[in-house]
Amino acid sequence: MIKLLIDRQLPSSDAIAARRNFSEILHGLPKKKTINSPWFYGAIGFSSVIFLILLNFFV
Amino acid sequence: MSASLLYFDRFGKPEDELAIIERAKLNPEYFAPLYRKYHEAIFRYVFKRVDEEESAYDITSCVFIKALTNLPKYEYRGIPFSSWLFRIAKSELYQSFRDKKARRTISIDSMQIGKVMEEFQIDESEHKREVLLKVLPLLKESQLQLIEMRFFEKRSFREMGEILDLTENNAKVKTFRALIKLKELYSKTNNIKN
Repeated sequence: MIKLLIDRQLPSSDAIAARRNFSEILHGLPKKKTINSPWFYGAIGFSSVIFLILLNFFV
Repeated sequence: MSASLLYFDRFGKPEDELAIIERAKLNPEYFAPLYRKYHEAIFRYVFKRVDEEESAYDITSCVFIKALTNLPKYEYRGIPFSSWLFRIAKSELYQSFRDKKARRTISIDSMQIGKVMEEFQIDESEHKREVLLKVLPLLKESQLQLIEMRFFEKRSFREMGEILDLTENNAKVKTFRALIKLKELYSKTNNIKN
């Protein structure tokens, strides 16, 4: 159900400005996922080496 | 002064903002001037559509978080940045209505009701005003939005079109149709009451 408000008092520009908080906005941004684990890079490196060895065998 | 000139006077030239936007795409901290510039306008837009002030502040914050998150996808295609923000505000509002975090509200000044009655060419009386207010929520949401923007927020058709993703002409036609619908509802209810 829609609510009707007649002659509602809008907050003043000063009151709105006082609630501005840019750091809150920056804080609310989703964190970028970065993979810093050496295991991740190690696993990729290791599987690449295995792949190359197998490729050497079968081709 | 024409409506479009007033519009750009209110929000500045789009070219001025593009440089800030490009910088902010690389580092969100550069977005601060745009946040300061549009915070109040977005808050007022949201505030008029929700019943609680705190919800309006929360939704406004969500709008800017979403804007900053999606900023890398923003490309200037003739539509001002402000309209892009209002579009995000519109979708955030509907999301909060769906999640029942806020209640759909129409905030009207008595003076603005007079303007709608003037458009209908009906003389103002307490009874007629009551009938009009009673039928207003019976409009479809899309029609209500148009009436709200045109008569209660005094937006130009161009601005309305940009926010609602319509052409200026289409916004004009749809507003006219919404008015006809409102007039129909008003006549029906007024006849029943009489």
